[in-house]
Amino acid sequence: MRFRTIASVVAGAAALALAVSGCSSSSTPSESSVASAAQSVAQSATSKVASAASAAQSAASSALAGATGNSQVLSSADAGKLVVGIKFTQPGLGVKNPDGTFSGFDVEVAKYVADKLGVDPSKIEFVEANSAQREDLIGKGQVDYIVATYSITDARKEKVNFAGPYFIAHQDLLVKSDNTDITGPEAMAGKILCSVTGSTSAQTIKDKYAADVALQEYPTYSDCVDALLSGAVDAVTTDDVILAGFAAQHPGQLKVVGKGFSNENYGIGLKKDDTAGTAAINTAIAAMIADGSWKKALEDTVGPSGYTIPAAPTPSS
Amino acid sequence: MTVAGPSDGARPPMISMHDVQKHFGTLHVLKNIRLDVPGGQVVIVIGPSGSGKSTLCRTINRLESIDSGDIAIDGVPLPAEGKGLAQLRADVGMVFQSFNLFAHKTILQNVTLGPIKVRKMSKKDADELADSLLQRVGIAEQRDKLPAQLSGGQQQRVAIARALAMKPKVMLFDEPTSALDPEMVNEVLDVMVSLAREGMTMVVVTHEMGFARKAGDRVLFMADGEIVEDGTPQEFFTNPTSNRAKDFLSKILTH
Amino acid sequence: MDFSFLSDPRYDVLGAFWVTVQLTVWSAIGAFILGVVLAAMRVCPVPLMRGFAGGVVNIVRNIPLTLIIIMMSQVIANQLGLRLATRQPGVNPQAFLDTQNFRLAVLGFIIYTSTFVCEAIRSGINTVPPGQAEAARAVGLTFTQVLGIVVLPQAIRAVVAPLGSVLIALIKNTTVASAIGVSEAALLMNTLLENEADKFTAVFLVIAAGFIVLALPTGLVFGSLAKKASVKR
Repeated sequence: MRFRTIASVVAGAAALALAVSGCSSSSTPSESSVASAAQSVAQSATSKVASAASAAQSAASSALAGATGNSQVLSSADAGKLVVGIKFTQPGLGVKNPDGTFSGFDVEVAKYVADKLGVDPSKIEFVEANSAQREDLIGKGQVDYIVATYSITDARKEKVNFAGPYFIAHQDLLVKSDNTDITGPEAMAGKILCSVTGSTSAQTIKDKYAADVALQEYPTYSDCVDALLSGAVDAVTTDDVILAGFAAQHPGQLKVVGKGFSNENYGIGLKKDDTAGTAAINTAIAAMIADGSWKKALEDTVGPSGYTIPAAPTPSS
Repeated sequence: MTVAGPSDGARPPMISMHDVQKHFGTLHVLKNIRLDVPGGQVVIVIGPSGSGKSTLCRTINRLESIDSGDIAIDGVPLPAEGKGLAQLRADVGMVFQSFNLFAHKTILQNVTLGPIKVRKMSKKDADELADSLLQRVGIAEQRDKLPAQLSGGQQQRVAIARALAMKPKVMLFDEPTSALDPEMVNEVLDVMVSLAREGMTMVVVTHEMGFARKAGDRVLFMADGEIVEDGTPQEFFTNPTSNRAKDFLSKILTH
Repeated sequence: MDFSFLSDPRYDVLGAFWVTVQLTVWSAIGAFILGVVLAAMRVCPVPLMRGFAGGVVNIVRNIPLTLIIIMMSQVIANQLGLRLATRQPGVNPQAFLDTQNFRLAVLGFIIYTSTFVCEAIRSGINTVPPGQAEAARAVGLTFTQVLGIVVLPQAIRAVVAPLGSVLIALIKNTTVASAIGVSEAALLMNTLLENEADKFTAVFLVIAAGFIVLALPTGLVFGSLAKKASVKR
């Protein structure tokens, strides 16, 4: 029959593609059940290899194995390889080092989650996820998940799923170490405040705390920090943990004021409607907090700036 | 007609060149040029192409620099590049083979530019001067056109008016009719003849033998960068002394 | 598609494009003047001037514009202390900051764009027959007069169309001013993308349309201007 011929061609092609590439990136709920079936066949084939290689596959991953057909992140995990979006230039959180390695708290979280999904952290391919590109990277399936100081907001929830929060940051101010008159957001009146282009954090200060503040925007926080060090701006504002990373980069020159206001819930972004994947990552985050890895990762990455490690959040499930 | 020498009276010669040498790379284009032109004399420079006659003409207002030697206009040595040279050039009118009217300016503006910018004449005076000169060369009614709208002969007459507007002491003509269609040659030569009759000191590089006979006081024959013959037109055309001049004349006068 | 942000009082789309226009106009005037000066220096008989102008053009032209604009702010203003506006104590420094950044951006655009103006005019100078300059010199004009009265006017008429392209490039290049916080169209776009992430396509369309509205007539005007200005020979 004609339908069966087409179906078997599709199935064969899908199986071949999966076997060759060793990962899946084409599974969307709308695809035909035939293709999904072919995928499952291919997955069980690759799963065997993967489980042979990593004997200690996590309980979370195997428990959810039945639902992997609709989850990009779980399919990728089963294939033993993950593509993760992080920031490359965020000190203490996501940094690509000159030697090609990656470090920072977001990187540690990404690795821990990968491990819990049954993927060796060395098999993670890190790609850069700038703020403006994050929804697009997820929407097009170019990354399996994103850990990049990604605040959970309602507007973003329209486009992506969030696991977590894995961290609650507070907006704060970064000033020179010898500064004494900027004690909090209210003290910014008549001063120049720096933030990155398009960011709403500076506007928040202007709207809620100090109408007389002047706002300077630069493309990156590094630019803001340079301007702060040269005295051209009086303070830099964004999330405290990000500021702490910069303070750690310039020991003795910069300090975080420490009067945090507003809550920024950092989540792990993944494909819209991937409930199975979201649940698996939430389980991993809970495990990371529970076994002390979470606290240790923070101490290793942003701790040196003198930043006080806050209480851990409760990931939603 | 007599050829006036450098010792003629107390006045210095209008143009004097002494031991002038010039090379283009390894080519020796002007060899030891010695020439004195008294005021009012019309000198015709003749010679085969590549003989250095155009170069000689262009060194007189230093459009071409020289390697060594001295050139003086009305007793004043040519200064080096700069304001002084510009002032001196203003006293030496020049008419080119390819007219070189300022393409973006009207005929009137072409003539008034020098008087206004160099002689600091008022625009009104310059316009009056230009109108009378354009009248004289017979193109007064074209004053508001652009050069490209005029025929070659008309353009060259404008170029003469432009040079005259500076009230020059000397006029240099570098093959002024070579680029013209034959029927336009005479309208330009007529203007030049009348200038010569008025006593203008002129150096004319040309192949127009009729003009040389009619208006010239003196003929220089150049070959290979040297002045080979120097005499009256009468002497030159009827009794050339050098073989090269004889050879040249035989070639151009056979038809 | 959702274009509701157009009527949101927080986003002044017209105001942002007005800043783009102002950046373009001031930069274009400055770049034209500096470009003509650089072109004149590049053809002048003094070897030192020629070398200097050639060096400036070849260095500036090959630096990315973003780098130049950020350098204007971070190095020239912040490190070296250049002030293009005065900061009055006790007054909200926003006005000072806006003026300072705007002027720094204009200065950066002038420096960058003038090198392209210079090269366009230099190619125009090559279209002017050498006889034009010779005739001007023979009349007794000085070098500056020869250049300013005879050569440059003809050279510039010959390159009106390429100068139009430079202007269109400048209009689009003004987006780089957002890098130092000048609130032009691109900065508004960044803000919109951050706050209205779900209206991605609509935001892009509006900003792109704005630039087309500015650039397209510029191209047409310069096209017809080029025809009118050309010198008949």
